[in-house]
Amino acid sequence: MQDIISAENLSKSYGATKAVDKLHLHIQKGEFFGFLGPNGAGKTTTIRMLTGILKPDHGKILIDNYSLEDKLKIANLIGVIPESRGFYEWMTAVEYLGFFADLYKIAGKEKEERIASLLLEVDLTKRKNSRIATYSRGMKQRLGLARALINNPQVLFLDEPTLGLDPQGQEDIQQLLKKLNTGGVTIFLSSHLLNEVSNLCSRIGIINNGQMVIEGTIDEIRQKSKMQNKTLTEIFLHLTGK
Amino acid sequence: MFKYIWKKEIQGELYTWKSMLWLIIASLLFSFTSYLLLTNKELSLLDQTELMLLLGQIIIGVALLIVAIDASSIITTEFEKETAESLFLAPLSIKDFLLGKFLASLTLWASIFIVSLPYIIVASLGSGLTLPFIGYVAFLGTLGIAGFISFIFGVSLFYRSTKNTITTSLIVLLILATPALFSSTLKNNAPSQFFSKINPVDNMFSSLDNVLVDYKTAILENWQFILPLIVFCLLMAGFLVFATKRFKNQGIIKND
Repeated sequence: MQDIISAENLSKSYGATKAVDKLHLHIQKGEFFGFLGPNGAGKTTTIRMLTGILKPDHGKILIDNYSLEDKLKIANLIGVIPESRGFYEWMTAVEYLGFFADLYKIAGKEKEERIASLLLEVDLTKRKNSRIATYSRGMKQRLGLARALINNPQVLFLDEPTLGLDPQGQEDIQQLLKKLNTGGVTIFLSSHLLNEVSNLCSRIGIINNGQMVIEGTIDEIRQKSKMQNKTLTEIFLHLTGK
Repeated sequence: MFKYIWKKEIQGELYTWKSMLWLIIASLLFSFTSYLLLTNKELSLLDQTELMLLLGQIIIGVALLIVAIDASSIITTEFEKETAESLFLAPLSIKDFLLGKFLASLTLWASIFIVSLPYIIVASLGSGLTLPFIGYVAFLGTLGIAGFISFIFGVSLFYRSTKNTITTSLIVLLILATPALFSSTLKNNAPSQFFSKINPVDNMFSSLDNVLVDYKTAILENWQFILPLIVFCLLMAGFLVFATKRFKNQGIIKND
């Protein structure tokens, strides 16, 4: 199958600290890839490089065979929930999604319908005309997901999308992500929640100190790590030396 | 694409209480100045053209200050409030981003200029210089303010911090504006004359003086003041291009 995300020899340093070190990633179309790692392992740096927000020191990245230099093409292919979650707090949800729809040149009836359906998906229809400043953290997370989906992306990069959500909020987002993946969207999920990753992802990669320490399905990871009867949490802690 | 950024800024930054407050402050300053000047006129303490020159200088000076403060945060808040990452993940070029912000800052200048119009008209009634007064304040103000906005945007891309940008912008504005207010007797040595010739604020004020006090209203008669202003604008545009290239090399997230 064709790689939709391909990264070769990806490296990034902040001063003397190597955040990402010779990382190789190959994600196939339609995969739900879980990206795990302890704090400071290089997850956010990797996502930022893959989405073109941060320039790598070395390495080559291709998204659906397009280089990141082709910014316009890439921007239309991907949707991202970044680590930094700022919002224009004075806008309403409709205005906010409308602004991003404009940037993606989605106009007229299509824009209205897309916004209405996304607000319904993320359960914000009742509060669509309230200022974002009045939203709870969970509502903002859901609005961020709606923004990431405004351009019907083929690839979704999610950096801790359920962070700070209550169990019901987490469940709702997980169901929506499952639905999107079933519909053919490739998802690259970075999360601290090992249960979330093991429930959702078809393949998992664990990164530590900027290097991929193991990669595969859960069964493959158990085999590779020779920890057949262990949980993902136990394997994770063993591999990351925690 | 820039029009969406421009529209967002108008809605979110200019069409707010903060901006309305700036316009009210500008209006109060113009009212106070006009009242003082008109009272002076009645007392024959100032010639009407001198009075108009003073009002023109105050309008441009106040506008420079307000636009400098506003422009210092218009870019940096995108980084400080963490909205830049989402914005640049969309198909938006840095050129469109800057152009939208630039037009928003110029819109603030346009609003201040519109607020100043009644004062300009009242102060210049009967002088026969109302139209040149309006025209030159608009032209010189737009040139000078466009140059300053370019400089401030360049500094914003360097620092990505409102505090640092605003401090730098105000220091530069103070360095340029203060000598422009000195009387000509204080500018009789070569270095101060040279500084006066290249100082954009000085050139704006000198051109107004030339138009209103010396009745030299033709563009060609003001060329010696307009040319340095155009050079200033081009230099600041060059600085902005340089800062933008550096910003693009660093990436949206600063490499530190």
